[in-house]
Amino acid sequence: MSHAATTQNGSILQIALNLTLAALVSGIIVAGVYFWTAPIAAQQRIIQRDNSMKELVPGVTDFQPVKDHAGWFAAMKDGAPVAYVVPGEGIGYGGKIKMLVASDPTGALLGYKILSHNETPGLGDKTTQPKFRNQFVGKKVENLEVVKVHEDGKIDAITGVTISSRAVTKAVKESLTALNESILQRSAP
Amino acid sequence: MKDSLWSIFSKGILDENPIFRLALSLCPALAVTTSTLNALGMGLSVMFVITMNNLVVSLTRKVVNPTVRVPVYIMSIATIVTVVELVLEAFFPVVFQALGIYIALVVVFAIILARAEVFASKNGVVRSVLDGLGMGTGFLFAMLLIGVIREIFGSGTILGFPVFGAWYNPPLIIILAPGGFLLIGLLIGFFNIVAKAKKAKGANA
Repeated sequence: MSHAATTQNGSILQIALNLTLAALVSGIIVAGVYFWTAPIAAQQRIIQRDNSMKELVPGVTDFQPVKDHAGWFAAMKDGAPVAYVVPGEGIGYGGKIKMLVASDPTGALLGYKILSHNETPGLGDKTTQPKFRNQFVGKKVENLEVVKVHEDGKIDAITGVTISSRAVTKAVKESLTALNESILQRSAP
Repeated sequence: MKDSLWSIFSKGILDENPIFRLALSLCPALAVTTSTLNALGMGLSVMFVITMNNLVVSLTRKVVNPTVRVPVYIMSIATIVTVVELVLEAFFPVVFQALGIYIALVVVFAIILARAEVFASKNGVVRSVLDGLGMGTGFLFAMLLIGVIREIFGSGTILGFPVFGAWYNPPLIIILAPGGFLLIGLLIGFFNIVAKAKKAKGANA
């Protein structure tokens, strides 16, 4: 009974028409769904970013964009900045790692949060977990060095995850350096 | 004589399990089974896509020209997968973040195209949907089995909760690709023995 209704070979025009029609229907469905979900997804991304910032700088709800630096935010409390959040990006084992890095005005890290990455599940993605992330809290630029054997004041690499550990640390360091150079130095006495 | 509806559904779970018996779609079985949660998410996504696609292919089997059926099937699969991806991104961002990079790959899973070609293009809607559900369940079962074993022995956890004490030092190889190959090979061997035993029993009875 297979293909009983479709005769052996239609003309090339029929075949082309068939394929075109299928593509048209697919296109309409995908476009329709995208039209419906895209604004919701965009909202979700903003909510996620705001949540990440609140997680990095607890107790602050007022984030003001920093002038002349796209994507940078100052966490304001009682009219004065208590922390800065800047985006960071590094190349890991599986491609780009995007994150937010938070620092207090003295240049000591409050932490980082990875927004998207492509690292090996079960290995590289351990860099998103608190056990590794908590090492960064309170560290300054000069402390940001990955070591395989524990050294006080440095960052311990995760076993078997050296590339991702280094990539994340390097990205954090670059963001913090940029922040130090442009804002923190200027406002220092 | 046609197979009963139950046998259409149940054959995908053991006798014709996509991964262990048909050895199709081994790529996701290797890549997305490092943790139970990933395996579960991927298994459910595939189950949904394969069932929906069997439905669409079965509904359109009389109007699609056989010469271009494969491109049409692939377009149908791609459309369903894209819709799943968009809906997950908008409404289930947590699941989307965990599975994001894998969902697009569902389009090229051999098992989905295989069921469209072998079954749904020749059978009615109810039978095709049951076939999709059965194959999807078999796929989910296989993914979960591999995922649970790899997570327990490779990370010492199950769904993120530790199962062993601190003394357990998980061997990395189980989480890495070679461990996946070894485990899938062993499991396929095991299910071959099961199938053989079942057949011998059937012959004796």
